[in-house]
Amino acid sequence: MAQDTNGGKDAGPWITAAHPTYTALIDEKHLVSKLYNMVNVPTGVWIDEHGKIVRPNEVAFVDDRFKNFSGLDSAPYLNALADWAEKGNQSIYAMSEERLREKLTVNNPDIALAAAEFGLGEHLYKSGHLTEAIPHFKEAQRLNPKSWNYKRQAYALSDAMRDYGTTFMDEVEKAGGSKAYYPPPDLSPAGSPRDKKP
Amino acid sequence: MMKGRLSACAFLLVLWAAPIPAQGRQAKVTIIYDDKASEINAANEEAGHLWITTVDLKRATGFELKPQGVCRDELCFPVPSVRQEGFVRKRSGKTWFNLVAFANLVQQPIAQDEGLRTWYFGLRSDQREGLSSLKAPDFMLPDMSGRLHSLSDFRGKKVLLVTWASW
Repeated sequence: MAQDTNGGKDAGPWITAAHPTYTALIDEKHLVSKLYNMVNVPTGVWIDEHGKIVRPNEVAFVDDRFKNFSGLDSAPYLNALADWAEKGNQSIYAMSEERLREKLTVNNPDIALAAAEFGLGEHLYKSGHLTEAIPHFKEAQRLNPKSWNYKRQAYALSDAMRDYGTTFMDEVEKAGGSKAYYPPPDLSPAGSPRDKKP
Repeated sequence: MMKGRLSACAFLLVLWAAPIPAQGRQAKVTIIYDDKASEINAANEEAGHLWITTVDLKRATGFELKPQGVCRDELCFPVPSVRQEGFVRKRSGKTWFNLVAFANLVQQPIAQDEGLRTWYFGLRSDQREGLSSLKAPDFMLPDMSGRLHSLSDFRGKKVLLVTWASW
């Protein structure tokens, strides 16, 4: 799911180069991030055959191309994914409902309003009003400071230093550096498999 | 006498060209609802509220007024009877609906650009609370060829949903 305001224009070349054997979709309004309260990419969600969430939002590297930046090895995540693919809800990585609820990002009024400000900014940008879009992107960033999507997408649509007085790497440094930037997925045993819960 | 007739004609012409507004000043606005933008030629922005005709309501949001409330397909939100006049009123032979009052009722965030007269209506509370059921919120998005896919198309299979971006 490409979270790209410019849609296929920006995401298309990457999809073409990847020759995906999986379904690759383009989400120019960041709808999935909005519905699932996602704050960065790559973010993964595991969903079972019945449409139930098994693991909520977490960093989801499926290869090591960003390992030097993030310090994250993709192997533990891929092994966990393979375990779930084989064992389903009996996998130790399939979270119990109790644990899922602890980890779900709760949508509060600020997060909801931030998404609206970001959506308005996107619309204005795509209507040729970048200058008018910037205050709305900034408001989205203020209301939901955990969202890297709101920062990174907005920076990519203009000159970040000129319009926001910062850059992506400056923000990463403020957050503790690139090794602290992505919280690693919590792959500790996920509690009792669902079917064994009382 | 002639002058008087001309004045009367001019007055009638003005009345014909500028319909009596619901209240306050009518203006062209853009409404973005469910991420779809609609131009509304005659809306009434008044004290932080946005009044549009019920025809425009249906066109821009899919919602319409019914005896049981404000409805779209199976979804219906009853309008509090004691506050009815804050939601619906009749002016200029048309029925007008207050979209801001409705947004407040359904806990829908609003972002507004006053200069460009653009109103963005975000996810209603019923759309935001889907996650708490642990059911994965459904969506429909295009692939590179423009073909639409829904998450629900994959029911019966395990799904790894991953977001990424070019930026």
